[in-house]
Amino acid sequence: MGKFLIRRLLQIIPVLFIISFVVFCLVFVAGDPVALMLPEDASPEDIEQLRESLGLNEPFHIQYFTYMLGLFQLDFGESFRYGQSALPIVLERLPATLELAAASMIVAIVIAIPLGIWSATKKNSPLDLLATGGSVLWKAMPNFWLGIMLILLFSVTLGWFPVSGRGNFSHLVLPALTLGTGIAAEMTRLIRSSMLEILNQDYIRTAKSKGIRDFYVVNKHAFRNALIPVVTITALQTSTVVGGTLITETVFSWPGLGQLLIQAVNTRDMAIVQASVFIIAFFVILMNLLADIIYKLLDPRIKY
Amino acid sequence: MKRKRFWGIFLFVITAILLVGCSGETTTSEPTDTEQNSTGSEADKNLTIAIGADMVTFDIHDHNNTSTEAIHVNMFNYLFKKDENGEIHPELVEEFNIIDDLTVEMKLKEGVTFHNGDPLTSEDVKFTLERVATDDKLKEYPNYKQIKEVQIVDDLTFKVITHAPEPSLFHRLSRLGSGILPKKYIDENGWDHFLSNPVGTGPYQFKEWVRDDHITLVPYDNYYDGKVEEWEEVVFRVIPENSTRVSELLTGGVDIAVNIPPADWERVNSNEGTSIVQEVSNRVIMLILRSTEGLPTADVRVRQALDYAIDDGALVNNVLQGGAVPTTTMVGPGNFGHNPDLYETYNYDVEKAKELLAQAGYEDGFEMTLQAPRGRYLQDAEVAEMIAGMLAAINVKVNVEFLEWSNFVEMRNANENKEAYLLGLGNSMFDGAYSVDWYRAERYAGHTDYKNDQIEELLAASASNMNPEERAKQIQEISTIAAEDLPFINLYQEKINIGISDSVDFDPTPDEMLYAPSITSK
Repeated sequence: MGKFLIRRLLQIIPVLFIISFVVFCLVFVAGDPVALMLPEDASPEDIEQLRESLGLNEPFHIQYFTYMLGLFQLDFGESFRYGQSALPIVLERLPATLELAAASMIVAIVIAIPLGIWSATKKNSPLDLLATGGSVLWKAMPNFWLGIMLILLFSVTLGWFPVSGRGNFSHLVLPALTLGTGIAAEMTRLIRSSMLEILNQDYIRTAKSKGIRDFYVVNKHAFRNALIPVVTITALQTSTVVGGTLITETVFSWPGLGQLLIQAVNTRDMAIVQASVFIIAFFVILMNLLADIIYKLLDPRIKY
Repeated sequence: MKRKRFWGIFLFVITAILLVGCSGETTTSEPTDTEQNSTGSEADKNLTIAIGADMVTFDIHDHNNTSTEAIHVNMFNYLFKKDENGEIHPELVEEFNIIDDLTVEMKLKEGVTFHNGDPLTSEDVKFTLERVATDDKLKEYPNYKQIKEVQIVDDLTFKVITHAPEPSLFHRLSRLGSGILPKKYIDENGWDHFLSNPVGTGPYQFKEWVRDDHITLVPYDNYYDGKVEEWEEVVFRVIPENSTRVSELLTGGVDIAVNIPPADWERVNSNEGTSIVQEVSNRVIMLILRSTEGLPTADVRVRQALDYAIDDGALVNNVLQGGAVPTTTMVGPGNFGHNPDLYETYNYDVEKAKELLAQAGYEDGFEMTLQAPRGRYLQDAEVAEMIAGMLAAINVKVNVEFLEWSNFVEMRNANENKEAYLLGLGNSMFDGAYSVDWYRAERYAGHTDYKNDQIEELLAASASNMNPEERAKQIQEISTIAAEDLPFINLYQEKINIGISDSVDFDPTPDEMLYAPSITSK
């Protein structure tokens, strides 16, 4: 396992380089940031002059070489928009996004696990149909719409929570619900189907025939074995959560990485885009690694 | 057992790292009192303003962002300042003397200090103006490169010398690039320190900036014009989503919310305690036409026909719900060289449009492309669609091509514009010369391919005319010719739409500044 861990950690390095290359290419072909920096009435000479000053007239390979040289020192260059080094700006936003992502995952897990188990044990009952139907409906709701509806109901009409911003716990509730309930909808269905498969296994029937109470059969014998696919999907949801924060952070004015990335893409702020995607990719890889480790804990038979 | 313990510790460490990461940010939790209760009442002397985009930087020379200047204006004074009528008056300057076409001598007011206590001197002016006039990496460089140097006469007196006669010098010195920077403070502490701890000479000083969240300013006790007592704290909260900004206003989370879209005006006005206030902005929305040989729009009669077929009144009243003023000039009120005869008016006569088309040989109409951005200007997509519908009435089939803003900018820069595109042009200089310069043939060869010899002569004459009265007339004349010859079809001048709480008094200005001393509590 130790060797596996070292191998996986070393694998992160080439993956991050491939990602950084792809992002560099995408940003490069996405177009000219200089045109967006100057106002509508800027003359072509002014645009050309600024482009030259920023080194954007250099050919692709020179720009990429400069970029990689910086990357080895964890220097993503200077943000065109902020005129400051990109990485500190990105890292400054990271805690806010991690806070929202963690809260959303907690919301998702707290809703999905009991609902999924309950739905599987009461298969085809009206309540099961309600839970599965509700999951489909919830999953179909776009985040931005759900967020605005939650604001209208809980902030404008009822006045229970603040509308937007980041501050104390009450600020976290609506964004976490917006993001978390969508993930919960997907997880509920997965836990339900995973549980149904396990509940039909022979060893469950054996356990039941031995007279073990249903509660223990479901929660101790079935649920642990149903968790492996759930862990996979939870780890994969990290990228969904990050994607969701782009929208949710904008709706709730949450000062995180998502909002920063959206602005950076809109203004073609290459350094910020590259640094943000790099950090996000790092976290997604880390979560996948964590999932592999949890597999091993859940099922000691798994060999790496 | 040992292995289990190892994994237990490993997971604990990972979880702890994540939790520490989550709880690392503490600076943002403080302004919540303001967020929750910004009533503008006597008990709470905090003013909270919701803005749509975060401030870009505290480098006043390195952005072209009106919403950033709207905040800076509270912290930095300019050498000159425009009043609500667009008249330019000295601000930091006590007196000035035009020595010749290239030189203006100015004397600073006595007793002006920066927020760190340093006195304002000629050295600061020289440092500021020469920085922006010589560093071509700065985004404001094109607007100040006309300045050759600043010569210091004494501590408070200096001369501004330009490369060539510069009729717009005072317009340049009454906008963001001329906010004076503290030379001594920057020399001693470095530029990066200034960017994170900026000081100016303005009525408010910097307290805190949490990116994408809020900027907090507090009054400067030793402001040369007297401390502003109205607000103890001014908070600019960044709320990009329109509906969220409106909800914050409705729930009392903010006192003022900028850029309220027409769809929400009724909601704000019908809510008890909030309303919409409007003011004409300095942005004109227009159709930029291509006069390239071979295109139907090369014929002035076709351009006039398009103008007569577009009902600007319907655009303003129906699509924009009154959020604009029809105009046939690019030079709006408050701008140098404004011609009032061309403002609040428009041409609309479908029969005349058909006649003009017939005269031009297009009795059966023609097909053209209208390129438009989506989401850049107020109801831009709807306006483009409606124009296409209006032109269909004279048998002109319009293919509307919507482009995302960055692609739209690239289309313009690559001269890939078709017969017409929709554009909004502001003018932060408030000098009509900058608007009518769009008609200059050399500037847009290959883009609009428009050329009018009379306009060319007037443009050349006005560019170096140091007589303000004559120059104003020349700009007015250019606008009059263009209103007939129609290189572009000017549609309307957008209004600024701001939601305010009944507890504050605020009259927006065309320059879109959010100058806190002009906002009072009721």
